[in-house]
Amino acid sequence: MNNGPLVLCADDDEDILSLVSLRLQRAGFDVATASDGEAAVAIARELRPAVAVLDVMMPKRTGYEVLSELRSDEALREMKVILLSARVQESDVARGLEAGADAYLAKPFKAHELVTKVQELLGGA
Amino acid sequence: MGAGALAIVVYFLLPPDGQSVFYVVIGAASVSAILVGAARNLPQGRRLAWQLFAFGLLGQVVGDAIFAFYEVSLNREPPSPSVADAFYLAGYPLLVLGVVLVLRELGSQTSRAAILDTVVIFAAVALVQWVFFADPYNHMHFGTEFARVVAMAYPVMDALLLVALAQLLVGPGGRTRAYRLLLLSVGLWVIADEIYGLNVNAYQGGDWIDGLWLASYVVWAGAALEPSMARIAEPDRRRLPRLSHTRMLVLAAALLTAPLTLLVERLAHHRVHAFVIAIGGAVLGAVVLLRLAGLVRAVESAGRAERAARREAEQAQQLLAFQNQQLLELDRVKDEFVSSISHELRTPLTSIAGYVELLLEEEADDYKRGHLSIIERNADRLLSLVSDLLFAARLQYGKLELERSPVDLRTLVQQSVDSARPRARAASVRLDVDVSAVPIMQGEPAKLAQLLDNLVSNAIKFTPRDGRVDVRLAQRDGTIRLEVSDTGIGIEESEREQLFQRFFRAQSALEHQIQGTGLGLYISKAIVDAHGGRIGVDGAPGRGTTFVVEFPGGAR
Repeated sequence: MNNGPLVLCADDDEDILSLVSLRLQRAGFDVATASDGEAAVAIARELRPAVAVLDVMMPKRTGYEVLSELRSDEALREMKVILLSARVQESDVARGLEAGADAYLAKPFKAHELVTKVQELLGGA
Repeated sequence: MGAGALAIVVYFLLPPDGQSVFYVVIGAASVSAILVGAARNLPQGRRLAWQLFAFGLLGQVVGDAIFAFYEVSLNREPPSPSVADAFYLAGYPLLVLGVVLVLRELGSQTSRAAILDTVVIFAAVALVQWVFFADPYNHMHFGTEFARVVAMAYPVMDALLLVALAQLLVGPGGRTRAYRLLLLSVGLWVIADEIYGLNVNAYQGGDWIDGLWLASYVVWAGAALEPSMARIAEPDRRRLPRLSHTRMLVLAAALLTAPLTLLVERLAHHRVHAFVIAIGGAVLGAVVLLRLAGLVRAVESAGRAERAARREAEQAQQLLAFQNQQLLELDRVKDEFVSSISHELRTPLTSIAGYVELLLEEEADDYKRGHLSIIERNADRLLSLVSDLLFAARLQYGKLELERSPVDLRTLVQQSVDSARPRARAASVRLDVDVSAVPIMQGEPAKLAQLLDNLVSNAIKFTPRDGRVDVRLAQRDGTIRLEVSDTGIGIEESEREQLFQRFFRAQSALEHQIQGTGLGLYISKAIVDAHGGRIGVDGAPGRGTTFVVEFPGGAR
């Protein structure tokens, strides 16, 4: 619809998933959604989004697990990953960045923070 | 005692006949003094020991009187044996019995150890008495066998008295003056007897040995008249039965008796009592061995008791460590719980804050926007509460760890004050800032910003309308000093110490119904501590409050 870059949003909380999707669509991105880790991996492989915004505490596979799965896939090397989580301890943040996340955002988030971060990662595209 | 000493001197100046009579007089005086002393110092029923002493000595006095009668009236020595011997010999058991009674009143032990000690002393004394004092009579000429038996009865009686003396020497309880005097008098008597026994043929009336006996009379009477004799029978309960040095010496002396006796006999070219010495030595050795075995057993059982006590202490220690471990585990579980709760709270807050933000962007109606702002503000408050709780919970199980980088505190202060301006304006509080250049410090900017926000927003919160808040930053004496003062409600001096404790709320804050969790200053202090600084508070109720933070400002 928007024909912007595709962003994958994964969260088990429907309300938050809708909010994130809405914010990104309004910023001009195409959005694909997943409500658990397995679906997120499947969609990522199928649609090869430019950016994935992943919740950490998800059923089936956690955000960390999805991240390492994506990172081990040669074909998805270029994908940017943002972890978006209500787990805000330094150890959580450090673990996410070590696993290869490009950014770690805390919930609750401000709309402009999220959008700015995604745009940043896409190199201002 | 002085009179007694004088009497003894007088005795030696008198002619022989006078001496005999005067000797009896001194003895009789001593006997009556002992009876008087017992009556004066002791209640009815406790006088028996001293009465026995008196009658024992009376036996000696009567014997002496009979002697004196022979010498003065008949001008010759009494026959051997005579009636005098009967009185003399009858007196000894009474004296010994008296000593035994005193010892019993002192609470002398009847334990196995005490009995063995007595046996050891008795065996040693018996050996010496037999070899040096009794047996020689077997080799002397006597008119009748009865006379020989009577003569030999004296060393036997002296043996009894010696044993009694030794028991007094090692007796329990404190040593009163009267006790020492009694010891001295019995000692004098035994020594006089023994010296006499060794020189029985050379002895003459008026000999210096008489002085010893007389001294014994006098001292004995002195002991009876001494007021402390009433307390002689008051045992010192604090002293536990033990192997004292004196007791050890007595045992050692007893053990040496046999070989020394042998040595003395050999050196003096005496007839050696090989059989008696061998038997005596064997008995002494055996009994001392028994005594020491008992001692070793006592030490061993004390050791066992100590080991048992130590084991118990170790077990208690382990239990304590286990309980401590459990407490730590409980603490960890509690923190994990708080952390998880924090996560669960943040998730719905994300939707609330996010959708309110969305609505605020879309809503044009100011009235509705006002309501939405209220929701937004309270969502923010709830979020900061959750953050504080998580922060405090994490402080519980570990020190705050910083990600340090160079920080210009001046910029942070300026930012913090700027972001607080809208709140200050809303509360009609004047917010002034006075910052000068300070050295760059190492720290975590986010945490320092949190500290500054805490202090500034606290100051605004506790200041009534038209009050003011001043934020000052300066370098002083090598430290970076930050002051945040307000004209607010102040704090009681008694509460200053508690102010930085978890969940503490000042009375004034509660009275003015100012909202808070009691976590802000706790967290602030943790941040200051982690940066190696100090935080303190000044002020009084009604006169505002000043928080002072000092960080080491680097050498300059």
